[in-house]
Amino acid sequence: MRRIGYVVAAAWQGFWRNPVMSVASTLTVAVMLLLFAFFVMTDRGLQAAVGILESKVELVVYLEDDAKPTDVLELRRRIENDPAVEAVAYISKEQALERLKEIARRRPELALEDVTTNPLPNSLEVKLASAQETRRVSGMLREEVGKGVIYDLVDNPTVVDKLLTITRVLSIGGLAVLGMMLFVALFVIVNTIRIAVHARRDEIEIMKLVGATDWFVRWPFIVEGMLVGVFGAIVALAAIAAVAGPVASSLVGFLDIVPVSLGPNFIAQLAAGLIGFALLVGGAGATFSVRTHLAK
Amino acid sequence: MLIALDDVSKQYPNGTEALRDIDLRIDAGEFVFIVGSSGAGKSTLNRLLIREELPSSGSVVIDGTDVVRMKRSQVPFLRRKIGVVFQDFKLLPNKTVAENVAFALIVTDHPARAVREETERALALVNLTQRRTHFPRELSGGEQQRTAIARALVNRPRILIADEPTGNLDPVTTWEIIKLLIRVRELGTTLLISTHNAEIVNALRQRVLHLDHGAIVRDERQGRYAA
Ligand SMILES: Nc1ncnc2c1ncn2[C@@H]1O[C@H](COP(=O)(O)OP(=O)(O)OP(=O)(O)O)[C@@H](O)[C@H]1O
Ligand SMILES: [Mg+2]
Repeated sequence: MRRIGYVVAAAWQGFWRNPVMSVASTLTVAVMLLLFAFFVMTDRGLQAAVGILESKVELVVYLEDDAKPTDVLELRRRIENDPAVEAVAYISKEQALERLKEIARRRPELALEDVTTNPLPNSLEVKLASAQETRRVSGMLREEVGKGVIYDLVDNPTVVDKLLTITRVLSIGGLAVLGMMLFVALFVIVNTIRIAVHARRDEIEIMKLVGATDWFVRWPFIVEGMLVGVFGAIVALAAIAAVAGPVASSLVGFLDIVPVSLGPNFIAQLAAGLIGFALLVGGAGATFSVRTHLAK
Repeated sequence: MLIALDDVSKQYPNGTEALRDIDLRIDAGEFVFIVGSSGAGKSTLNRLLIREELPSSGSVVIDGTDVVRMKRSQVPFLRRKIGVVFQDFKLLPNKTVAENVAFALIVTDHPARAVREETERALALVNLTQRRTHFPRELSGGEQQRTAIARALVNRPRILIADEPTGNLDPVTTWEIIKLLIRVRELGTTLLISTHNAEIVNALRQRVLHLDHGAIVRDERQGRYAA
């Protein structure tokens, strides 16, 4: 117990002994964690979108809210008459919302945002006899977009493909950037601790000569590295909290998937993950630094 | 037998042969002067005892422990048995007298109460209680020396090594230090004192170990500085 008190006090003093360096490495860690959080959140969001779209429907025709029922019926009959079409189903706004809620219930990482005004359109879901015909049928229908009845057309296989590509590119690019940031953060922490060790070299020499154990000498520096990590995580989490709202809504808008966002469960996991990751990076960097600079 | 060296030689990496074929036995409670001209190997011998350096050959046994073969993790516990007063004091300039002394207890993981009590005891022993809140730069040479002695003694080591403890001191202060060391010895501590001060050695007539070019050339029970 007294040892923990001593170690934390010494680490705290060490952190503020060279505040410029400590704050710089804290910010570096924070930036790395922000990137990390950004990639995790985007990845989760895209995966959720893919999951939602991966229902069996192959072609969705979104209808104008003010389309005349007779026009809709006429459109539906025309689609049904196409030999490539197997079935057509009319999905009302309300049914669409109900379905979305059902999906959200089954996926705990998703939470529905406020849905007092239903932003979903009425739609026709078209199931095709053969997937090869998708392009022709969607091409035919696309010509009618904006002419009063059809407001938009989504052909699912293409969208899913696109999303998967984006996810893949993001995770590869993200991993590369994250790897570089991790390297930079480790480098900065190792140097911060090296400088801290250097600043206390006389003290360390005496500690060893009067019989302090290696670990007694090392722990304050390792904890100082962890402090850098935790402070970095706090800065990153504060930044996330500040921008989460606007970013989430623009992300939702960008993905065109209505009121789905990442649930509180996920946010808690993310916060715990960031702090854990930061402790690990700070502790590992400091341990490496202490092991190389305190040898002998 | 508290200290036993057998056939010890020390060659530094640059080739300097600092000690040659040293055989030495020191019993608990002895008062030993180590004399010899500059470069004779006195400090090197001290460094071997606290395992700051390892011998090139031979064995060093302290209090039954083989210092050469002991695990690295055991070295701190060897050092807690040996207090060292360094020629350059090695006091921390940003700590007060009391903090410098307490430091040796804190970093060897003593409880707060023991740190307080033992620090006070050591300060009283070297007669520095009045100076406890002063910083090293505010002290005279003799006071700094006594602070270093207090720190070396504060965790009650079995052995006290003092390397040139009267180096730059005037005769009066030198005698103060020597009287202090005699008192420490009376408390049961084994003393190894390296010195160039002939007057002290000749006055006290204790065991004298004379090193010359790394070899023991004289070992007398009640010796003098020069043969
Ligand atoms: N770290 C070192 N590396 C190489 N040679 C060393 C080292 N330390 C001491 N020596 C050499 O070993 C020899 C013995 O040195 P040592 O310091 O033990 O002498 P000393 O008897 O303590 O001298 P002094 O009375 O001047 O303190 C000297 O020749 C010295 O140059
Ligand atoms: Mg010397």
